[in-house]
Amino acid sequence: MSEQIGQMARAGELTRDAVLALSARHAEPAWMRAFRLAAWEAFERLPWPAASDEEWRRTDPGVFRLEGARPGGEASGGALPADLQRAAAAWEAPAGLLVQRNSLTVRASLDGDLARRGIVFTDLHTALREHPDLLRQHFMTACVKPEETKFRALHAALWTGGAVLYIPEGVEVTRPLVSLTWIDADGLDIFPHTLVIAGRGSTATLITAAVSPPGELPVFSDSVAEVMLADGAQVRLVTLQEWGRNVVEVGIIRSILARDTTLRSLLVGLGGRVVKTNVESVLDGSGATSEMLGLVFGDDRQHFDLHTVQEHRAMHTLSDLLYKNAVKDRARSIFSGLIRVHYGAQKTNAFQANRNLILSEGAKADSIPNLEIMANDLRCTHGSATSRLNEEHLFYLMSRGLTREQAMQMVVEGFFAELLDRVPLEHLRSRLQREIEQKMVA
Amino acid sequence: MAVTNQLGIDPDKYKWGFHDPEKYVYKSRKGLDREIVEMISSMKDEPEWMRAYRLHSLEHFQQRPLPTWGANLAQIDFNDIYYYLKPTEKKQRSWDEVPENIKNTFEKLGIPEAERKFLAGAGAQYESESVYHNLKEEWEKLGVIFLDTDSALREHPDIVREYFGTVVPPEDNKLASLNSAVWSGGSFVYVPEGVHVDIPLQAYFRINAQNMGQFERTLIICEPGSYVHYVEGCTAPIYTTDSLHSAVVEIIVKEGARCRYTTIQNWSTNTYNLVTKRAVAYRDATMEWVDGNLGSKLTMKYPSVFMVEPGAKAEILSVAFAGRGQHQDPGGKVIHAAPHTQSVVVSKSIAKDGGRAGYRGLVKIYPGAKGSKSAVRCDALILDDRSRSDTYPTMEIDEQDVSITHEATVSKVSDEQLFYLMSRGIKGDEAMNMIVRGFVEPIVKELPLEYAVELNRLIALEMEGSVG
Repeated sequence: MSEQIGQMARAGELTRDAVLALSARHAEPAWMRAFRLAAWEAFERLPWPAASDEEWRRTDPGVFRLEGARPGGEASGGALPADLQRAAAAWEAPAGLLVQRNSLTVRASLDGDLARRGIVFTDLHTALREHPDLLRQHFMTACVKPEETKFRALHAALWTGGAVLYIPEGVEVTRPLVSLTWIDADGLDIFPHTLVIAGRGSTATLITAAVSPPGELPVFSDSVAEVMLADGAQVRLVTLQEWGRNVVEVGIIRSILARDTTLRSLLVGLGGRVVKTNVESVLDGSGATSEMLGLVFGDDRQHFDLHTVQEHRAMHTLSDLLYKNAVKDRARSIFSGLIRVHYGAQKTNAFQANRNLILSEGAKADSIPNLEIMANDLRCTHGSATSRLNEEHLFYLMSRGLTREQAMQMVVEGFFAELLDRVPLEHLRSRLQREIEQKMVA
Repeated sequence: MAVTNQLGIDPDKYKWGFHDPEKYVYKSRKGLDREIVEMISSMKDEPEWMRAYRLHSLEHFQQRPLPTWGANLAQIDFNDIYYYLKPTEKKQRSWDEVPENIKNTFEKLGIPEAERKFLAGAGAQYESESVYHNLKEEWEKLGVIFLDTDSALREHPDIVREYFGTVVPPEDNKLASLNSAVWSGGSFVYVPEGVHVDIPLQAYFRINAQNMGQFERTLIICEPGSYVHYVEGCTAPIYTTDSLHSAVVEIIVKEGARCRYTTIQNWSTNTYNLVTKRAVAYRDATMEWVDGNLGSKLTMKYPSVFMVEPGAKAEILSVAFAGRGQHQDPGGKVIHAAPHTQSVVVSKSIAKDGGRAGYRGLVKIYPGAKGSKSAVRCDALILDDRSRSDTYPTMEIDEQDVSITHEATVSKVSDEQLFYLMSRGIKGDEAMNMIVRGFVEPIVKELPLEYAVELNRLIALEMEGSVG
C-alpha cells in the first residue's frame, strides 16, 4: 500500500496522498503525520499571495507555482559526484558536518567529544527517531508556524531532510558546524528546514550552505530556519545561498532571542534565479543583541527580494543591521526592512543600514527601510544609499596601472569589505572574496 | 456649557472651535449617486464635458475598492456626507458685500489682518463654494488669473479644459475619483510666461456644517519662466461626528518656472483629511511643497512631483504633529523620469499623548534618468511612551548613474537638553516648547512670516502641559 502511494507521489503531484506517503516512507510517529496533514489543510485553505499584497508587489508570486512538482527525498544511488565531494571537503575541520543530497543525508559527522556532551547535530528524520520530544516541543511550534503563509504551511506538510542543532545548557562549541544542502536532481521541490536550539549560556557557530550545480529544469525551494536562543546563549549563524540558476526559492529565517543573548547572523545571497527571503529577529528578552548582516550580489537576470524585521519586544535590546547589495547586468535587488519597537521596549537601540551598488545599465535596486516605533526612550536610525561605481575611484586605480576590470573588482571588494570584516571566519571570508571575483568576471 | 465630545476635547476651550449657526440658501441631501452628481453639475450650470467627466469619475469611485494600505478608512460612511452645499446665491465681489456672519468667522481666523498686510488676492472658501474673491489690480494687469475653480470654468473654459484632470486623472485613486465627481470650489491660478508674483497668493478653507465633506479642486498653471507662491491654510471648528476633506490639487510647472505651495493644515480633530496633491515639473522647473499637518483625525497626503524633463527639481518639506487621537500619515513622492533631475525631501514628525505621526514616501528613478540625485531625511520626535512614529520610505531605482540617500532618526527629548535649559531659568513647559520649536525650525523658516508665527503658536498650544 505504502509502496503504491509512494509511486503516485513520485509521479509528480502535490497531494494529500503525497503527504501521507512521505510520512509513511519515513515511518513517522502519528503526531508528526497529524502535524503534516494539518499543515496540508492549512496550505489548501490559505490563499495564494496576490501581486497586490504589499509583500509581493516586487516579486511575482507566479514564479513559485507548483505545477508538476515533485517533493524530494529520493535516493540517487552511486558514489557522490566529485563536485559534491569537493563542496563537502571545502570546510576546514568543522566540529560537525551534515551533507544532504536531494534532501537525503549522505554524510553526517560530529566531533565525538561534542556528541558525548549532549550536542545533537543531525537531520530531522533522525532527530525525530532519536529525540522526538525535542522536535515535538520546538519544531514549528513557537518560532515559525505553518499557518502563517501558504508557503510555510506547504513546508510544514512536506519537509524533508533538514538539520537540527541542539546545544545543551552551558556547552560551548568553538569550531563551526556545517550543514550542506546539495541538489542535483532537476525539477525537484525541496523543503529544507534548519532548527537551532541553543540552551542557556551555550555558544555555537552554524554555517548552512545551499549549493547546486547548474541545472536545466526548475527547482523550487521552500525553506524555513528557526533559531531559538535561551537566556545568555550566543550563536553565530551564516546562511550561504549558492543555488544554481535553475532554482527559485522562497524562505524565512526567524530567530527568537531571550534575555542577554547574542545572535550574529550573516545572509549571503549569490545564487538562484528568483529568491525571496525573510530574515527576522525577535528580541524577546532584555539585554538581547542581534547583529544582522547581509551580502547580496546579483548578476545576469537574478532577482533577490529580501525582507528583514527587527522586532524589539523587550527593554534594553539592541539590533544592528547592515545589508549590502550589488547588482550587475539586468539583476534586481530589493531590500525592505522594518524596525518595530513595541510599547514598553524602552532603552532600545535599533540601527538599520542598506547600501546598494548598481554596476550596470539595466540593473535595479529598490530600498524600503521602514520604522514603526512605539517607545520614546530609544535610539533608532536607518539609512539607505544607492549609487553606482565612483568614476573617480576607478580613475585613480587605473592611473596606478590597473585595468578597468581590475579597478572595478577592487572597488566592489571594498564595498563588501566593510561587511566581511565583521565576520571573523577567515576561511569563509576568503571563499566569499573568491566568489565575488568570479561574479565580477562572469 | 462645556460639552466634551468622544475625543475628549472640550469645544469651549478649543481656540478655533467656534462655529456660526447654519444658514444656507440651499442644502443638498446626504449620500452620493448619479442624481446628486447631475444636480451639482446643473446647479453650477457647467458645460457638458464637465458633467460627463463627473459621471465617469463617479462610476470609477463606485467600482474602486478602498485602499488597503495605510490607515483604516473603513469607518468613513460615504453615504452620511453632504456632497454639495451652496452658502449664498450670488458671488461676492467686494469685502463689504460679504455676509456679516461669514465675516465674523474670518475675523476670528485673522483673515482681515492678512488681507491688509499681505494679500495680493484671496479666494476664501466658506462651505463648498468660494464667496469672497479679491484680486488686486496689478496682477490683473500682468495677466495673472486667481479665481475659484468654479468661476474659472465659466470665465476661462478653454484653459481649464486643457489642464483639468491631466495631472491627477479621475482613475488615480478612490478619493481622487470622489473629488472628480463632486468637486466644488478650490483655487485656479494661471501665471503667464515670465511673470513673477512676488507676494504669496492665499486662500482659506473652512468646513462648517456637521457631516459635511469638502471637495475643493485646485489647478495651478505656471507658464515658462514664471514664479508663484500659493498658500493654503485651514482651520476648522469642532463637531462631534466625522467629516471628510478630500481635495485634489494639480500643478503644472513649465520650463524654467518655479512654484511653491504651502499648506498649514489644522482641521479639527474629527476630520478625515485625504488629499491628492501632484505637480508636473518640466525642463529646469522647480516645484516646492511645504506641508504642515497639525489638525485632523487622520491625514493621508503625499504631495508628489513628477520630474518629466531634464533639470527639473523638487523639494518637499513636511511637518507633522499628532496629539491625542490623531494619526498623521503624510509624506511625499518624487518621480525622476528625466536625466539630471534633483529632489530633496525633509520630514519632521512629532507624536504626543498617544498620537501617531510619520512619513510615507516614494523615490522612483526611471531608467535613463541619468545623473539624478535624491536625498530624503526623516526625523521623528516621540514625546511620551504612548505615542508612535512610523517611517515608510520606498526607493525604486532603475538607473545606475544616480545618487540616492535616505536617512531617518527617531529620538526623544533628552533629559540633558531639558536640564540645561531649566538650569538657565527656563520653566519645564517652555524648555520643552523650545526644543520642539528647534526641531521643526528647518521647515518653519521656509514659511511666510505670519504662517511661521501661526505654526509656532499652534505647536505651543499643542505642547501645553507636556512636562510635569
